[in-house]
Amino acid sequence: MIREWTSLFVALFSLVYIYGLSLWVTGSRSAFLNLLKNPAMIAFSFIALIFTLYHAVTWFYLLGQVVPMKIGKTTSKPWQALAVNLVLLIVVSYLVIWLLVLR
Amino acid sequence: MREAHKVARLHAILWGIFSLGGMIAAFLLPVMIYLTGIAYPLGLWPFNGSRDPSFLVTGTLLGVLFVFVTVAGSLFHGIFRFQSALTEVGLLRLKRGLEAVGYLIIFVGIVLLAYYLLVLNPSLPAL
Repeated sequence: MIREWTSLFVALFSLVYIYGLSLWVTGSRSAFLNLLKNPAMIAFSFIALIFTLYHAVTWFYLLGQVVPMKIGKTTSKPWQALAVNLVLLIVVSYLVIWLLVLR
Repeated sequence: MREAHKVARLHAILWGIFSLGGMIAAFLLPVMIYLTGIAYPLGLWPFNGSRDPSFLVTGTLLGVLFVFVTVAGSLFHGIFRFQSALTEVGLLRLKRGLEAVGYLIIFVGIVLLAYYLLVLNPSLPAL
C-alpha cells in the first residue's frame, strides 16, 4: 500500500513543476528559479526524490513478478529484474545529465 | 455488449498509458527531481553554479521533449494510481467522482504544460 501512496509525490512534483512554468510564463524566469531555490521546495524535492525512488524500485520489482523473462530453460526472478533495471536507471540518469547539461 | 467492449478497450488503453507513465516516472523523474529541485538550488554537480534548470525548458528541443514526456507521463501515472488507491481504502462509492477529478487534473495539467512549453519556445512548432 505504501507504493500506491508514493504515487502522490510523483503527481505532486509534476503539478509543482507545471506551477513553476506558469510563474515563468506569467512573470519572469527568475520567478521560476526562485521557486526552485525556496527552502520549502528544496525540502519537498528531497522527500519527492526519496518516494519517487521507492516507487521506481518497487515498480522494477513488480515488473519482474508480472512479466518474468524466459532465458533458455530458466525464468528470471523479480530481484534480477530489479538489479538490471537499477543499473539501467543509473545509465539513463547519467545519459540525461550528459545529453542535457554536460554536453 | 458492444458498449462493454468499448469500455474494456478504453480501460486497456488507459492501463497501457499508465504503464508507460510508470516507466517514465521510474527512469526519468528521479533525475529530473535531482537536477531541478536539489542540484540547482544547492549548487551540486552537474550545475556547480554555472547553468540553471531553465536551460532544460528553453535550451534544446531534446530538453523540451524531456520535460514534456517526464512531467506529462509522471502526472498521468501518479494521479491514475493515486485515485485508484483511494478507491481501495474505502472510497469505492466515490469511484466515479474520483475518476472524473483525476482525469480532469491530468487533462488540464498536460494541456497547460504543452501550452507553457510552446509559449516559452515560440519557434518550437517550426522545428
